[in-house]
Amino acid sequence: MNSIRARLLVALLALVTVISLLAGTLTYRRVLAETSLLFDYQLRQMALSLRSQVSMAPRLELPPDQADADFVIQIWDLYGKRVYLSRAGLPLIDQTTLGYADVRIAGERWRTYGLQTLDGVIQIAQPVRVREALAGGAALRVVLPLLLLLPLLGAATVGVVRSGLLPLRRVAAEVQRRDAHSLTPIPAAQLPSEVAPLVLELNRLLVRLHGAFQAQRAFIADAAHELRSPLTAVRLELQLLDRAPDAAARLTARQNLGAAVERAIHLLEQLLTLARQEPREEPAALAPVPLEAAVAEGMADAHALALVRHIDLSLDAQPGVMVQGEHAALRTLVRNLIDNAVRYTPPGGSVRVSSTQGPRGAVLEVCDSGPGIPVVDRERAFDRFYRRVSAPEGGSGLGLAIVKAIADRHGARISLADAVPSGLRVTVLFPPPA
Amino acid sequence: MRVLLVEDDRMIAQGLETALRQDGYAVDVMRDGRSAAEALRNARFDIVLLDLGLPERDGLEVLRDLRSRADPTPVIIVTARDDVPNRIAGLDAGADDYIVKPFDLDEVGARMRSVLRRAAGRGDPCIHHGDITLNPVTHTVERAGVPVALSAHEFSVLEALLQRPGAVLSRAQLEDRLYGWSGQIESNAVEVYVHGLRRKLGSESIRTLRGVGYYVPK
Repeated sequence: MNSIRARLLVALLALVTVISLLAGTLTYRRVLAETSLLFDYQLRQMALSLRSQVSMAPRLELPPDQADADFVIQIWDLYGKRVYLSRAGLPLIDQTTLGYADVRIAGERWRTYGLQTLDGVIQIAQPVRVREALAGGAALRVVLPLLLLLPLLGAATVGVVRSGLLPLRRVAAEVQRRDAHSLTPIPAAQLPSEVAPLVLELNRLLVRLHGAFQAQRAFIADAAHELRSPLTAVRLELQLLDRAPDAAARLTARQNLGAAVERAIHLLEQLLTLARQEPREEPAALAPVPLEAAVAEGMADAHALALVRHIDLSLDAQPGVMVQGEHAALRTLVRNLIDNAVRYTPPGGSVRVSSTQGPRGAVLEVCDSGPGIPVVDRERAFDRFYRRVSAPEGGSGLGLAIVKAIADRHGARISLADAVPSGLRVTVLFPPPA
Repeated sequence: MRVLLVEDDRMIAQGLETALRQDGYAVDVMRDGRSAAEALRNARFDIVLLDLGLPERDGLEVLRDLRSRADPTPVIIVTARDDVPNRIAGLDAGADDYIVKPFDLDEVGARMRSVLRRAAGRGDPCIHHGDITLNPVTHTVERAGVPVALSAHEFSVLEALLQRPGAVLSRAQLEDRLYGWSGQIESNAVEVYVHGLRRKLGSESIRTLRGVGYYVPK
């Protein structure tokens, strides 16, 4: 049973029942005890009043109604001979105890009182059953109204529980109205203090979700937008190829078409790489990996471009530097950093890569002899598709965005600075392995 | 016909430039908003192809700047921004047409002709003047119903002069229309084309205003 309402109802109704029964039992006990005292007193009074009568007239006549009463009166003379018995036909109590006594005869319990007089003994006996019936009646009179009230109590409980749970149902209805397109916070005003924290957390989740959806949508819009340019170039060159007036124009168009297709493919690959690095539902498991291996492989990936562009690519890797990370992602990070440096550096320039163990964790550094990035543009340099006017052809505008996404996943910090004597110095500072 | 092509993507700019030159347009290419605005302040173009997402200055700003000077030069926006609000903003800022990337070259050509026609106040794509008929779509000229074979440059000169009969165009203006800023100009090229046109269309078809330029009589 997993409904708060059902649980509350059952618990409350059970409680009411138990309390009613307890009240009945207690009342029964109390009444029994009190009536016992009263009856005992009555027994004694009867015996005392009979003493005076018996001494005057041994053949005592009792009123008829008293003969039907729940008492049995016996009187013995001084010789032990029974001289009076109020009701015949009953099993007789033969022995007499003076004062109060509990006696059991033929399965029936009696309460007796014996009194010594001048000429004999008087005994008054009463069945305990009579007393219990009286007490039971009294208890029933207490419990019965309670039991009769039970359905009413139940109905009231249902109502109270229902109205108490109303805020929860309202919240549920509000949540139901949300979807990917309307993630507005749930109104938290006038909510009971038990529900408010839930709604507060839910709203925080909604805000995060909203942000994530927004980012997703922006990414898709950006991607679609950016894909237009290379595809426009492809279509353009294709049509130029069709209408080329001579062999030379055809050859140019054919070459340009090839370049345009390559550019579209490069953009697509970078988009996919970035999409894979974007925060996902389950963070990838990071394990200690040697930084130098990732650096060497990333460098090998970017080597071809450096050769074509006549860039002197050099590596200074300190062995044994470990970072908490994912090898493939680190390799992508290194490749994109070097790729970027190589693209921006004029032919004949140099790109130096180093990985070292710093005092606060591993440090990866890529320095180029290119034009650098002005301080005002440095923050935007990590934005998707951000390209400065001087950006070289063929870039996707995603390289540094990919680097940033990977660094974020590794908890690493990136900083851009001026290289000495000129160019850009990118520093990636990894947190120390846990 | 002189075209200003404002496009920051080098590949697209190069391709479009080639295509437009093949169509007989003189093309100048600007790769950022600031130099485009400067070019528009300093020279007259028959038509502008304007990208919106430009470095330095946005294309829309360039367009507003142009229109704020009451410059009626026809402008066609060629952009990757395809959503309706951007189209509306572009047209409201004074664009004559709006083309979304990736575009079809033939469509760009047709839209350019349509915008040029409207700018000249003509509905008929052909220009009629006396017994001369010039068709800018097919690049053909007829005289009294008989086709006349013209070179591409002769055609461009005639088209420029026929657009505003009576208006005088200087040799420099005609050269700009023929080559743009980047083309190599032979010193007496325009004279050669005018001479050829007179030979084919009659000596009175194009007149010279000595020291000023050429015109077709009204």
